[in-house]
Amino acid sequence: MERVIFEGVGKRYGRMWALREFNARFVPGETVSVIGPNGSGKTTMIKCLLGLVHATTGAIRVNGQPVGPDPAYRHQVGYMPQISRFPNELKIGQLIDLMDDLRGHERNRTGGPLVNALGVDAMLDKRLGTLSGGQRQKVSAVLAFRYSPSVLVLDEPTAGLDPISAEIVLDAVRNIKRDGCTVLITSHLMEEVEALADRIAYLQDGTLRFLLPPEEIQAATGHARLSKAIPAMLTNTAKSHVESL
Amino acid sequence: MWKVYKYTLIDLARNKFVGGWMLLLLGISFGLFQLEDQPVKAMLSLSQVLLALVPLVASVFSIVYLYDAMEFTELLAVQPLRRSKILGGQMLALGTALVIGVLAGAGIPLLAFLPDGASLTLLLSALMLTLVFVAIGALIAIRNREKARGVGLGLVVWFLFVLVYDAVLLWVMFAFSDYPIEPWIVPLAALDPIDLGRIMVLLKVDLSAMMGYSGAVYEKFFGNATGILVALAALFAWVAAPSAWAFKAFRRKDF
Repeated sequence: MERVIFEGVGKRYGRMWALREFNARFVPGETVSVIGPNGSGKTTMIKCLLGLVHATTGAIRVNGQPVGPDPAYRHQVGYMPQISRFPNELKIGQLIDLMDDLRGHERNRTGGPLVNALGVDAMLDKRLGTLSGGQRQKVSAVLAFRYSPSVLVLDEPTAGLDPISAEIVLDAVRNIKRDGCTVLITSHLMEEVEALADRIAYLQDGTLRFLLPPEEIQAATGHARLSKAIPAMLTNTAKSHVESL
Repeated sequence: MWKVYKYTLIDLARNKFVGGWMLLLLGISFGLFQLEDQPVKAMLSLSQVLLALVPLVASVFSIVYLYDAMEFTELLAVQPLRRSKILGGQMLALGTALVIGVLAGAGIPLLAFLPDGASLTLLLSALMLTLVFVAIGALIAIRNREKARGVGLGLVVWFLFVLVYDAVLLWVMFAFSDYPIEPWIVPLAALDPIDLGRIMVLLKVDLSAMMGYSGAVYEKFFGNATGILVALAALFAWVAAPSAWAFKAFRRKDF
């Protein structure tokens, strides 16, 4: 059974379509890397799934539940944004309490994955306004993985993290995927894509150019490295598109 | 909603601006009561300050706070709770923090130096204006993506209500003085919440020399007590209308 289904999803801002006719199905236990140039529609696609952006056309389902005004489906979703900002005067512990309350979980500041591994348990009494960008990312990662989501959306998850913390987060992605979670991850780092992706979704100008496993992309282009294979794949798909016309 | 309210209020309680606002009001209030020999005069001077400053601070602070909290609001919006509860909690917390600032900053001196109905009416008027301009500020913050634009719009709205609308109303009264326009003044004055606050205070103080035309019309049409109630009801409508608009805009907002 598919975990996440996009059916003809489009988003228009004024006259400009940020995302067009996006169709995709994501299954449990797979990691999909969503890549593409700036302004290609990656963030719009992810935000449509999270309910942060209202799709102009089409429908999205998570575990069979429609993405819409009813927020129930979000119990199954975890999200780590690219830039995290929290209320300056709250302490990390209070933020975790708030999220536990909102999720209907028993409060347990030191429990859950990553709290200890990222050293967040030692900072629980720190005010969020005093944290560095990397520390805020760690808090954000803790919150994203905390409630055993069946769909995890990570927007540039290692940006701003030190290499050790980045590796801890990537390990956590591998673990949660093994437990059957569907992970959607945007990244500009090709090594990260190569290390994690079961499939790669490439978006350009709001259109899905391809959604394929890395091995297929490599086989179709003859390049072992994705940084070479993906541009070659784009050229191939453009050529075949012209030929089909 | 109450969870969002509680933690937003904790954040606001430690906010330096909210504390500074309370101290500023305390300083102004005590200063005026010390300078004036008659407490009523000090109260009237304080009413001018409050009726101008409270809307300005409430709207601009709400706009800035909600813009600064936008990424966190986005994080709340991906949690399993309705958007109306997020905005409700944030607006209520902003209102509570600023109302406490006014109560402590202006309420304590007012009730210490002039513990009468006029002081209570001034306080009520300042509290209602706080809520009105928190709602207007929230609406502006939700409808505009850019912070600078939002703050600018907040200042323009404040300037319109505090000065321009009064001037326009005066011009209308002057230009149409030969016509029976009194019945029109009641709804026209209700279109400016700051005017309504002023009318409430002056009706209670009952100083006809300071009442102005719109205040005199309210007194003539409704009498003092009913006039205050009508003005208060209009202020409630001023809280409800922008709040309802803000909730609608927030439900449809794309982050």
